[in-house]
Amino acid sequence: MIEVSAMIRNSTVFANIRACLAMFRIKTAEGFQYRLANLANASVGVFWALIDITVYLVFYQYAERKDAGIIAGMNINQLVTYVWLAEAILPMIVMGVDGEILGKITSGDVSVELCRPLDLYFQWFSKSAAARLAPLFWRSSVILLTGIIMPPAYRISLPASFIGFLWMLVSLLAAFLLCTSYAMLICAVRMKITWGDGITNMMMLIGSILSGAYLPLQLWPEWMQGFLRLQPFAGYLDIPVRLYIGTISPERAISSVSIQILWSVVFIISGKLLMAKRLRTIVIQGG
Amino acid sequence: MPQVLMEGISKSFKVLLRPEGKFGILRGAFSRKSEIIHALQNICFQIEEGELVGYIGPNGAGKSTTVKIMSGILTPDSGTCRILNRIPWKERLAHVSQIGVVFSQRSQLWWDLPVSDTFHLLKNIYNIKETEYKKRLNELADMLGISDLLKTPVRQLSLGQRMRCEIVAALLHSPKILFLDEPTIGLDAVSKLAMREFLKKENREKGTTIILTTHDMDDIEALCNRVMVIGHGRLLFDGEIQQLKKQFAPLCRIKAFLSEKIAPLPIDGAGKIEINGNEWTVYYDSSKIATYAMIERIANKLPLKDVSVDEGNIDEIIAVMYKEMCLV
Repeated sequence: MIEVSAMIRNSTVFANIRACLAMFRIKTAEGFQYRLANLANASVGVFWALIDITVYLVFYQYAERKDAGIIAGMNINQLVTYVWLAEAILPMIVMGVDGEILGKITSGDVSVELCRPLDLYFQWFSKSAAARLAPLFWRSSVILLTGIIMPPAYRISLPASFIGFLWMLVSLLAAFLLCTSYAMLICAVRMKITWGDGITNMMMLIGSILSGAYLPLQLWPEWMQGFLRLQPFAGYLDIPVRLYIGTISPERAISSVSIQILWSVVFIISGKLLMAKRLRTIVIQGG
Repeated sequence: MPQVLMEGISKSFKVLLRPEGKFGILRGAFSRKSEIIHALQNICFQIEEGELVGYIGPNGAGKSTTVKIMSGILTPDSGTCRILNRIPWKERLAHVSQIGVVFSQRSQLWWDLPVSDTFHLLKNIYNIKETEYKKRLNELADMLGISDLLKTPVRQLSLGQRMRCEIVAALLHSPKILFLDEPTIGLDAVSKLAMREFLKKENREKGTTIILTTHDMDDIEALCNRVMVIGHGRLLFDGEIQQLKKQFAPLCRIKAFLSEKIAPLPIDGAGKIEINGNEWTVYYDSSKIATYAMIERIANKLPLKDVSVDEGNIDEIIAVMYKEMCLV
C-alpha cells in the first residue's frame, strides 16, 4: 500500500498536477492583490442587476400578455433570483483572453513558458482558471449580499429545494471547468496572432449571448428550447441557476451536468489539439 | 557524443511587406507581399560538456533564433539538432527539464509577487525535492547576494537585483546546460563583475555548460575560451578568443604628446599618422615591428613629452571583424 502511494507520489502525472496546482495558487495570490478593481467590478454588477430587474418587473406588470413569462415557466420571483445569481457568477464567463496570457502571446514571452517542463495547455489552463477566481469571489460576495438585503420585490429567494441547491454547487464546478476549457480554446485560436482579436471576440460574444447572461434562456422562443438545452453555453450559468430556482428539477440534474461535462471534454480536446498544432509553427515575437 | 550537436540547421521566417508609394497603407490593407527572411542557414557546431561558449553577432544575426531552437521553442526548417541526446522540439518537456534559460528582456518572475513565490512555483514545476531545493536556494542566494530580497515583490526590485533573481530562477533545478541571452545588459559595473564571477564559478564547480549571447565584449573576454560569431544567419567564426584577436586585431597605435607643434613628417614602419595639434597618433602593425622599437623611432624624430600605447580593445576587434565579414 505504501509502495503504491509512493509510486503515485513520484509519478510524473502527480508531479504535473502538483505543478499546475502551484500555478493555480500563485495566480490566485496575484488576483487577490487587486481588491479595489474587483470591488468596482462588483458594484457595476449590482447596478446592472437592479436595471435588469426593474425592466423585468415592468414587463411582468404591464405587458399585453401578462402570463407570457408564466407560460415560459418562470415567475417574477424566480426571474429576480436568476438575475442576481447570473450577475454573481458572471466573472466565470470568458469575456476576454486572460490579460497575462494575451500579453505573452503578443509579446513573445510565451518563450519563457515554453522553457518549462510543463505542458503549455495545462499550464495556461490553471492560470486561466485561477485568474477568474478572485473576481468571482469578490463579485459574488458583494452581489449576493446586496441581493439578500433588497426590499421584497427585488430580493433573492431561497433555493427551490435543498437537493436542487446541492446540485447547483456541483453544476457550478462543472461550469467553472466548462468556462475555462472554452477560454483555452479561444486562447489556442488567438495564438495565431495575425488574426488579431476579431475571431476570438466573436467566439466570446456567441458564448455570452447563448449563456443566458443577457436574457434567461427559458424566455427565448419555444421552438429554440431544444437547441438551447443541448448547446454548450447553457452550462455557463443557465443550468446551475435553474437548478437553484427549480426550473430544472433535481431528477434532470444528472443529465444537465453531463451536458456540461461533455462539452468541457470536447473543448479541452479541441483546444489541446489546436494548441499543439500552433506550437509546431510558432513564431516568437520581439526577438 | 558532444552535449550539443547542431548540424545544418536552417530557419526562415515570412515577413509581410506593405506596398510602398502612394496609398501604400490603403493598398496594404487589401494585398500584401511577403518576403522570406533566412534567419539561420546551415548552422553547424558542437559543444562539449562543461564548455563556456560566447555566441556573438550583430543585431538580427540569428543569435536568439539559435538559442530558441536549442531550447526547444522553435522548430527549424531543416537540419538535425541533438542536445543531451534528445531532439529539443520533439521531446520538449524532457529536454527543458535539463536546461536553464534566461532571456534578459523577458522576465520569468511574477511581477506583483515576492520573489520567493516564483521560486516556490519553480520548485513544484521542476519537481525538486524539499531538501535539495532549500540547499540550492541558499547556495545561490548567498552567491548572488539576494537573500534579503526574497520577500520583496519583483516590481520593487532594481534591474540588477532582478537579473540576479532571474539567474537564480534559471539555476534552481541544477540544469546541465544554461542558455543566457545577454545576461549583463543594463547592469552596473559591480553587478556585472559579480555576475561574471558567479557564472565562472558555476561553470567550474558544477560543470554546467554555459552558452551566452551578448553584445558586451568584455563579458566574452572575461568568461569564454571559445567564441562563435554569427552573421546573416551563417556561422562565420568558431574558435578561441586569442585566435579571433590575432586574426582581426586592428593596427596598434601609439599616442605621442609633443612639446611643440611641428610639421608632419614620415616615420619608418608607421602606417597612418593622425595629427591633432600637439597630439600625434601613429598606427603600426605590431606583428611586423615591436612596440618598443616603434617608440624609439618616434622618440628619435619628435620632440616627445609623453607617449601612451593603445592596444585595440575587443570592441574594436569585433567591429573590424564585422566589417571584414560585411556584416555592417
